[in-house]
Amino acid sequence: MSFINKTFKPILTRLGSMPVAILLLVLLAVASVIGTVLKQNQDQADYLHQFGPTWYWTFRSLGLFDMYHTWWFIAILALLMFSLAACLLRNVPRFIKEMKSRKGTLSDSARKHMEHKFDLNLDNKAKAIATIKASLPDWKWMETKVQQADGEVLWLRGDKGRFHKMGYIVVHTAMLIILIGGWMSVQFGFRGNMAVPENAKESEISFLKGTGIEYLKMPFEIRCDDFSVNFFSTGAPSEFRSTLTILEDGKEMMTSDIIVNEPLYYKGVRIYQASFGDGGSMVDLNLFRLTKKGNLDTVKGQIYTTFEDPYSDASLELKDFRPYNIENMAEAGKPKDFKDMGPSVDFVIRGKGLQPVLVRSFMEPFIIDDQNQGTIMMISKSGDTRDFESYSLGLDFSDPKEWQLFQAFVHRLPTDDKATQQDNLDAFRAALDEVYPDERPANLPMLGNRVIQALKVLPDMPWPFVPILKDYDQKYYTGLQVAKDPGMDVVWIGSGLLVFGLCIMFYVAHRKVWIKVSDVQDGVALQVTGLSNRNPIAFEQEFEDLEAQIKTAYEQRNEQGASI
Amino acid sequence: MTAITLDANSKFSIFEGRTAHVRCWTYLGMMVGMAAMAMFAGDGYVEDSYIFQLFSLEGAKWMAGGGVVGMAYGFTTSKDKFRAFRFSEILVPWIDGAVLMIALMGLYTLFEPSQAMISYKDQSNLFSGRVVMTMNVMLLFSALCYVSYLFAPASFIGKLGTITAWIGVYAGGSALLLRWYESYLLMGGDIGHAPVSNLYEVFILLFCVICIVYLTLESRHQARALGAFVLPIVSAGVFFAIWLESIGQSDIKPLVPALQSYWMKIHVPLNFVGYGSFAVACAAGAAWLVRNKIEERNPNAAMLAVFPSLKQLDQLSYKAVAIGFPAFTLATILGAAWAAEAWGGYWSWDPKETWALIVWLVFGAYLHARFSHGLQGKILAWWAVLGFLVTIFCFVGVNMYLSGLHSYGQLT
Ligand code: HEM
Repeated sequence: MSFINKTFKPILTRLGSMPVAILLLVLLAVASVIGTVLKQNQDQADYLHQFGPTWYWTFRSLGLFDMYHTWWFIAILALLMFSLAACLLRNVPRFIKEMKSRKGTLSDSARKHMEHKFDLNLDNKAKAIATIKASLPDWKWMETKVQQADGEVLWLRGDKGRFHKMGYIVVHTAMLIILIGGWMSVQFGFRGNMAVPENAKESEISFLKGTGIEYLKMPFEIRCDDFSVNFFSTGAPSEFRSTLTILEDGKEMMTSDIIVNEPLYYKGVRIYQASFGDGGSMVDLNLFRLTKKGNLDTVKGQIYTTFEDPYSDASLELKDFRPYNIENMAEAGKPKDFKDMGPSVDFVIRGKGLQPVLVRSFMEPFIIDDQNQGTIMMISKSGDTRDFESYSLGLDFSDPKEWQLFQAFVHRLPTDDKATQQDNLDAFRAALDEVYPDERPANLPMLGNRVIQALKVLPDMPWPFVPILKDYDQKYYTGLQVAKDPGMDVVWIGSGLLVFGLCIMFYVAHRKVWIKVSDVQDGVALQVTGLSNRNPIAFEQEFEDLEAQIKTAYEQRNEQGASI
Repeated sequence: MTAITLDANSKFSIFEGRTAHVRCWTYLGMMVGMAAMAMFAGDGYVEDSYIFQLFSLEGAKWMAGGGVVGMAYGFTTSKDKFRAFRFSEILVPWIDGAVLMIALMGLYTLFEPSQAMISYKDQSNLFSGRVVMTMNVMLLFSALCYVSYLFAPASFIGKLGTITAWIGVYAGGSALLLRWYESYLLMGGDIGHAPVSNLYEVFILLFCVICIVYLTLESRHQARALGAFVLPIVSAGVFFAIWLESIGQSDIKPLVPALQSYWMKIHVPLNFVGYGSFAVACAAGAAWLVRNKIEERNPNAAMLAVFPSLKQLDQLSYKAVAIGFPAFTLATILGAAWAAEAWGGYWSWDPKETWALIVWLVFGAYLHARFSHGLQGKILAWWAVLGFLVTIFCFVGVNMYLSGLHSYGQLT
């Protein structure tokens, strides 16, 4: 026992001391700053690239890339917990004692140092006391009689807001409770992500642990029966909604819709709508071969798979499908002009001698002011969707006839240098006759422009074919966040207490008044002294009012008394 | 002294005594009526049409009903204890202010251009833009008055500063309300939402909160010279907001799904009560430092006559923190509650959350230094100033420099 007393008491005292507490708070703040400035849980390669090997390894060994889960960060929080507990252990008994014991008298020397005081002589003792009590109606009064050489002296002590110190206890207990709740959340809870394609089931969540990804199996399966998204006319999603069914051992336990901000609750686990994405849509692609023959193949693919072209060494890694592409066509500063560019598919094209690039291929041609500008394609050399640049391919690839026309035209184009403009025109006419024998297409000049544009672009294409989206069968996945958090309610209780305690601490000042009532020749002499532990300015006002109130109330009573 | 105090007490004022009491209960009755309508009326509470319901005949009936009941209660209870009025006297000026703002908003709707002239794509015709401009002018002018007041302590110019600051508050507050209403006029009402969803909107809110906190303290403590420190902070914000507008950040935009929650209406404004109070604390700290400097140089400087004393400034700074800290604590907790509902966890160490924690720790440490170490004066004045710089980073810097889950506020 004495060993414990000797070893732990000093540690506890030290830990619960103010400087240590402030140090811990400052450390916590500084560490948090680091954690926000240094992006957490990014790709390790990015870090290496950003900081260079020396700093990378320094930061890495300090755990700065996943700082909030390092032992030392958790140690700060744990120490803070102990510090709070120690601080409470030490102070609570003292505060409670202080709250209980009220000293009824005040020594002269103590009074000398006090700021708020006045003296008053009144003639009737009983009336004086009654007036005082009436002037401060909801104060708590205590009377103490003290025998002195020159007779009995009555002390009145008034208190208001005596439970101010409770505020301190409540606030710090609340902090402790919150920290304990947080610890429970980390220790006994989990939180991870799950992607469930439409009509599929999933029971495993994944989450980041340290710098890796871990998986956890849920005791149930979640099936996504339906998923839908609504869009604003700006193209931003306005609402996404999943219909989920919970299955246990293959048995349907419940079915419910969830949207963002309205999670589903099942056996202590909450299931949140977090995101959505492509769940492996089926897409049909037209491959317009740029070789001499100009064949057109239609191939089937699925998002997240790779299509290998049997006739060349090119491959398409299908990445994403989007049913809408709403873009603001206006220049910056001009009124916005939103336009839906229709469905698109994203893929990375690879092949021998090809620079792999990310491509977004649209199904529909780009039409502006009713003018068909042909199909466009967005290409990102970096592979990042933010770096997309658009290329106009010239032809409207959604109309296979235009491709035929282009092929027919290219074959007829005179090859020798002496060919004139007229020869080219003749070749174009002949191509038109072949592809459109009965009727010329509408808006022929525009078609001519497109073919000329295609002539500029297509022959230089390094790819063996132009892949254009032809048709699709869309399928979403719904991105769910699955979490169990047994500490959450504890945290809420602590939070409620925290706010409650702060209100007491800030808005309830403990105000005390001592009044020494001593008999003098023609009445009583009052020595009034006041003290407040908060808000001295307001108390000054209150105290001045008190003096005025006592005087006038006393005079009024006197007048009343006289008139009776 | 005695006579003055008593006179002040017995002077008739519509914010005191029986008048305030009855009015307060009438207001409370109307609010209960509104709540009752949301719960029991035909269609119940539908987020998007509730505002319009309130302004319909149906809404008038429910509110009038509640108001009459409240007023009756106010009358029957107003005879006895005088002290019972304290509660009303504190509450009533605020509700009066809110009602006035709503009335102003109603007035503005008359000036709204025809439906044909406004569209989502070009929002420059919306009337709220002009009211915001009025606010900007008023606040800048007020700053000018307050600063001049320091050098020419004629009471008139100081009063002008106070008055224009109040006008600025009313312009700003009612402009926000109008903007709320306007957001339902665009895109067929699809995107209507409370005007607290982007940096531009919350800046206006911030100006109003700073001014309200300051003006309240000013009227209670006769600390007009403090305005020469508060309003310049606000003016800096006004210039920032004007810049935001010039780069097209002032448009009403649809909300991402995560923000479509009633929590937004609670969490965001409450946070700004915290930020705004910390701004006032910073101004009081700065005023303390300036006064201290002047006293060191020349204790008889004329300017000192209008300055509150060092002790008062110290107290004012604390008072502002005492308003801000609990509000900020509550706001952070409610933010955590929202996060728990929207993101699946109450705390994610997202940069915005973490910086809120840092701000909170900084001011928590301020309070410890003040009450447990008995620190006062210079160090705490500096602390309040630096604390506000941290707050600014939490509020603007995080949006501009750090990305995270809270990236809604980001400039695009
Ligand atoms: C988790 C972090 C903590 C927070 C957020 C916190 C918060 C507060 C707040 C807001 C006050 C009120 C200051 C006032 O207005 O009177 C306070 C006072 C105080 N705190 Fe803490 N505190 C924390 C940790 C600690 C620790 C670890 C100790 C132990 C040394 C401590 C000791 C005190 C003391 C002695 C007071 C003064 C109470 C009084 O006399 O009024 N605090 N704290």
